Amino acid sequence: MQKHNANRPAVMDLLEHHGGLAPGVSAKVSEETGVPEADIYGVVSFYTLLAKPGVARVCQGISCAMAGSDALADALQAKGEPYEKVSCLGYCDQAPVQIDKDMELTKHGPRGSITPDDPALPINLGGQDDASYSALKAFEGMDPDAFLDQLQGSGLQGRGGAGFPAWIKWKAVRNEPIGTRYVVVNADEGEPGTFKDRETMLRRPHRLIEGLAIACKYVGATTAYIYLRGEFPAPRRALELALAKARPHLGGLDIRLTMGHGAYICGEETALLEAIEGKRGMPRLKPPYPTQVGLFGEPTLINNVETLACVPEIVLRGGDWFKNLGKTEAGSKLYCISGHVEKAGVYELPLGATLNELVQAAGGYVGTPKAFSPGGASSGFLPMEHADTPLDFKGLTKVGSMLGSAGVVVLNDTVDMAAAVRWQQIFFEDESCGQCAPCRIGCRMQRQAIDAFIESGDVASLEHTEDLHWEMEEGSICGLGMVASLPLLTAQKHFPSEFEGS
Amino acid sequence: MTETPTELTLTLDGEQVHAKDGETLLDVCRRAGKEVPTLCAEDRVDPMGSCRMCLVEVEGQRRLQPSCAFKVQAGQVVQTASDKVKRHRQLLLSMYLADHELDEDDLPRERGTGNQLRQHVLDHGTGPKLPAINAPREYRMENNPYIHFDPEACVLCNLCVRYCDEVEAVSAITLAGRGAKTTIATADQKGLLDTTCEMCGGCIAVCPTGAMTEKPSLASDFREEEVVRSTCNFCGVGCQVNLHTQDNKVVRVTSPPAGETVNDGNLCIKGRFSMEFIQHEDRLTQPLVRGDDGALHTTTWENALKVAAQGLMGVKEKYGADSLGFISSSRCTGEENYLLQKLSRAAFGTNNCHQCAAT
Amino acid sequence: MFGAGAMTNSIPEIRGTDLMFVIGSNTTEAHPIIAMEMKRAKKNGAKLIVADPRRIWLADIADLYLQLKPGTDVALLSAMMHVIVTEGLHDRAFVEAHTTGFDDLVASVQTATPEWAETITEVPADDIRQAARLYASTEKAGIYYTLGITEHSHGTDNVYGLANLVLMTGHLGKEHCGMNPLRGQNNVQGANDAGASPIYYAGYQRVDDPAAQAKFEAAWETPLSPTPGMNLNVMMKHMGGLIRGLFIMGEDIVLSEPNTERVEAGMNGLDFVVVQDIFLNETTRFADVVFPAACFAEKDGVFTNSDRRVQRVRKAVDAPGEARPDWQILVQLAQAVGYPMPDYQHPSEVYSEMAQLSPKFSGISHERLEDNVGGLQWPCPDPEHPGTATMHTEGPIIGKAPFQTIAYRPSEELPDSNFPLLLSTGRTLYHYNAGTQTRRASGAIAKQPQNFIEMSRRDARKRGLDDGQLVQVSSRRGTVIAAVNISPRMKRGCVWMPLHFPEANTNRLTNDVGDPVTQTAEFKVCAVRVQPLVQAAK
Repeated sequence: MQKHNANRPAVMDLLEHHGGLAPGVSAKVSEETGVPEADIYGVVSFYTLLAKPGVARVCQGISCAMAGSDALADALQAKGEPYEKVSCLGYCDQAPVQIDKDMELTKHGPRGSITPDDPALPINLGGQDDASYSALKAFEGMDPDAFLDQLQGSGLQGRGGAGFPAWIKWKAVRNEPIGTRYVVVNADEGEPGTFKDRETMLRRPHRLIEGLAIACKYVGATTAYIYLRGEFPAPRRALELALAKARPHLGGLDIRLTMGHGAYICGEETALLEAIEGKRGMPRLKPPYPTQVGLFGEPTLINNVETLACVPEIVLRGGDWFKNLGKTEAGSKLYCISGHVEKAGVYELPLGATLNELVQAAGGYVGTPKAFSPGGASSGFLPMEHADTPLDFKGLTKVGSMLGSAGVVVLNDTVDMAAAVRWQQIFFEDESCGQCAPCRIGCRMQRQAIDAFIESGDVASLEHTEDLHWEMEEGSICGLGMVASLPLLTAQKHFPSEFEGS
Repeated sequence: MTETPTELTLTLDGEQVHAKDGETLLDVCRRAGKEVPTLCAEDRVDPMGSCRMCLVEVEGQRRLQPSCAFKVQAGQVVQTASDKVKRHRQLLLSMYLADHELDEDDLPRERGTGNQLRQHVLDHGTGPKLPAINAPREYRMENNPYIHFDPEACVLCNLCVRYCDEVEAVSAITLAGRGAKTTIATADQKGLLDTTCEMCGGCIAVCPTGAMTEKPSLASDFREEEVVRSTCNFCGVGCQVNLHTQDNKVVRVTSPPAGETVNDGNLCIKGRFSMEFIQHEDRLTQPLVRGDDGALHTTTWENALKVAAQGLMGVKEKYGADSLGFISSSRCTGEENYLLQKLSRAAFGTNNCHQCAAT
Repeated sequence: MFGAGAMTNSIPEIRGTDLMFVIGSNTTEAHPIIAMEMKRAKKNGAKLIVADPRRIWLADIADLYLQLKPGTDVALLSAMMHVIVTEGLHDRAFVEAHTTGFDDLVASVQTATPEWAETITEVPADDIRQAARLYASTEKAGIYYTLGITEHSHGTDNVYGLANLVLMTGHLGKEHCGMNPLRGQNNVQGANDAGASPIYYAGYQRVDDPAAQAKFEAAWETPLSPTPGMNLNVMMKHMGGLIRGLFIMGEDIVLSEPNTERVEAGMNGLDFVVVQDIFLNETTRFADVVFPAACFAEKDGVFTNSDRRVQRVRKAVDAPGEARPDWQILVQLAQAVGYPMPDYQHPSEVYSEMAQLSPKFSGISHERLEDNVGGLQWPCPDPEHPGTATMHTEGPIIGKAPFQTIAYRPSEELPDSNFPLLLSTGRTLYHYNAGTQTRRASGAIAKQPQNFIEMSRRDARKRGLDDGQLVQVSSRRGTVIAAVNISPRMKRGCVWMPLHFPEANTNRLTNDVGDPVTQTAEFKVCAVRVQPLVQAAK
């Protein structure tokens, strides 16, 4: 039990300050915060940046792996420099990458592309960031119900991966009984293949802050948190600068920047709340939903960076305008593309664009494409016969995949599917929080299965993958476990010849 | 403070059952006599829903839901034994077996206090046999005289940690690490003696699989123990204890189940572990009488009683009954205290009788 | 208090309370299971006020912590009463219906302002105010205390002060409230109930009440003395004088009583001593006869706990060698001196005899306890009665309860230049009383191997003492050796020692001056000095 008035949210910053996992650090932070020492040890051992502080990190995400990140690790090994292979660092457009102990990029490829300046786009990464906060002013002149109509009419879906209609959550939080409420920005971008929020925060931070301010005003929050992944120092600097500049427009709104410490699972909204509260990032049971019981037990609106960044232009130009930007679903969408394409990067296209359209924007394929992941590791793999399938929330679900965070990765025929599966299963094994048995045991089992198959060529190694997937999907607490078998399952399904064994 | 909760009706396995607002599906299932297996549920701590054993099918929900945490709603339609639920249970148990030490019959090994996982496997069966996952777990809490933790038998239900934090509130242990490496640990992997642990042994009591066990009785076969219900002899709380005996020795002390006694299933270090004195070699086993040499010598009961009677009566005869004092013990039984005052007042004629402690 | 000396409410009620006022009780160490109920209440949202000179564990989770100077409880409680009556927070209807003497009380606390109390207790006046308001304005509020209240030369006043608070706020006779002394030993309550008292027969029937005397004379078939006897503290003082022989059952008085040197001198002055126990101990050094007794696991009977709950003790194993249950030995000794004590076959027969003579628990029997696994709480006047969880629900059982005016006076022995530190003593979680049982437990030995003295870092530094260093602790009565334990829990100028270590008996230091009413000794306050151990003296 923690002490009266314990300061749990300070735990992670203090752990970082004292150097992370090392003897005596938990005791020191316990004394400083009033949180039990064991709890703090539980926290410090959970987050990779805290558990292994002060080392170089080499990305082993799929795009970096395909671009040869093993060579970076080998080079460090040869020099005897301490390093850690880590899950996707969110720089797939610049693969392969390596960061130093301060999270700064030290090895990377050329910077990725973006869609050129086009004022017709709601986010428009290529445009000049606008710090006038005219949308916020316009919102303040609007009737809240009229605003909600616009938001609903825009058809804006959550851009973090779930595609849940934004207006429902906004309305739910606003309608909670009077009391404290929070808005939280999910900027813990970590899905392999995804780096759109990074670019948004770097290039258009005011879009995000303005959207956030509108959200706070609408739901009645006076404090907001931006939970930013710890490996993003550059977006952090951009946000800090922008926040300072935005302050005069925000009317006392308290926006706090909370840094992550290396845990993909904290992109899951309730795990994210736990992390802000200074705890292990283990997802909560739902219900209750965060709109009812969220941060510090109060009603909380959680939105992704891109979702909020869409809001200012919806206010200024109306819901219909936004909706009509889309092809098969509402709005435009930031698509990330990396892997075997000419110009990896972030492209803002109508929602429902196809792979071929996206790759066209990215300068074409490199080599002969064989497979792609439409939405990061969680979406599994699709064969090229889906290259003209609209990349949207509903359509991809129908073909056993999902748009997710729209982190599209293209694999050409030089890639062995079993190896590709292995990279993704390593990712899920490393990032499972370990709380519930189906995911904790299942993720390790699936990774061991693909390892055993690669090593032995024996298809019997894979005989239980479907049963495991079924149980992980039915039995896991959160989405991670539910989708963690998809790379293996979809690869087996769509590329059976590569899993016939020897 | 709380209003009377409203009654509501739901359908459980095709039958109408009543429930109160605020109850969980597990509450209702238990009352209806449904066999819903659990590992991480325990009334004394908040539900965590992490073991996934108790999942049931709730109409309108996309996936199975943890009955331990899912609240009842009017009109809910719930199934506890559908094909889907059964498949889930068997597959989940298969997965647990791949992460658990097994015996020669491929069943979860019996532990000093029984293993509910083994019982679930026997009751519900399993799916395919899955390869062992050999999860790498770091643990070093052994430096303590009483509590043994065996990660090979741990299902990470987190009950020990939650009990330690929410009930005993000393928060000596935690979930540590992540993913398959997750384990139960102390801060900096210290021995329990060097932590805030007060060795109440609650972690042992709530552990469903025997991963946490009593060191002193690790080798004792719990199935051969006799159990005698009694009251703890230390402080004034009056905790109910089960004294487990084997070969005329107390080998283990546990609490009767939570819910029916003043201690509600809880014990402290004294009640659970400080029983070594009972069989201690220093115990007095024979009456002693002081000899002319000034030392105490063993003697017969007959002689000891005679010497005591003569000695006390001698004082009474010489100085009067009120020159005698009778000091009773708050450690002895009520009956003994009654008899001591009776001895003092009726046999010796003095009211100089008092117990050792006024509080 | 209010007609019965016991917890007015029940342990299981604690979890439902909205406010706990814990004073003079290190509950997590002395009553860990009750502390669990308090923690549960806290988790459920209850507020917690802790008053204790030591910053005990509960203080860490308390909403309000009052670190008063040892021995100043009366000032603190008076000021709380002052706040309640001057701010009109008292329960007028309850005071009117169920109490007497309120006006005198109001007059008596008129000058006891929080500012005055701050000068004595060192507790900020605002904290006193806040505590009083919280306690008075919370409907479900309970007071919990232990020896930190009673083991003072003004222990009775402390108890009166708490009782006044309970009465003026009407926190009596209601669930989750009340005045709750937490009993230190497994059967303190039961021993009192059974008549191990110089003034009461079993069931709180006075020996100088002719009706009671006649009842017991008839039952025991022998004439009885109507003269109240000496209590333990008085007996201790008269050893070798008025007291010439002692029969001691299950108690190491040489270790447990204050001012050991004086107790030892008294024991040496006795003509004859009989000790009945399970181990040799400090007291058996003075015994002429030692009877080997059975321990709790080797016999049947009942214990009565803090909340008046009568519960069974059952034989699980045989006693070692020729050791016998205490009840058998007592019968045999009575018969050996010629008193025809019946040949009881089982303690249940003894209990029946007691219950027949004691209306408070005449509804309780061993047989009923078999069916009531949670025990039976007295009052339980007949076999159909379910027992009583909350007392005084119809108003105080003595009718109208009187307020008792109290006035602060300092403890008997305060620090001076020769003995500059104020010593309090108490129990730890790991050990128990004289240590006979826990000093033979490996966990307790591993956690706390030897006697220690807790002191603040400043007091240690002033004397050049390091953590763990052995020191001599001396009072006017004696000297013991202990290891320094530098602790943030201690107030400057105050030190604390446990009482579980026979080889370094803390009671060589303590003062045997007693409360004028109860004669309970002032274990909680005496003056000591601490010096580094002179190696040559070893």
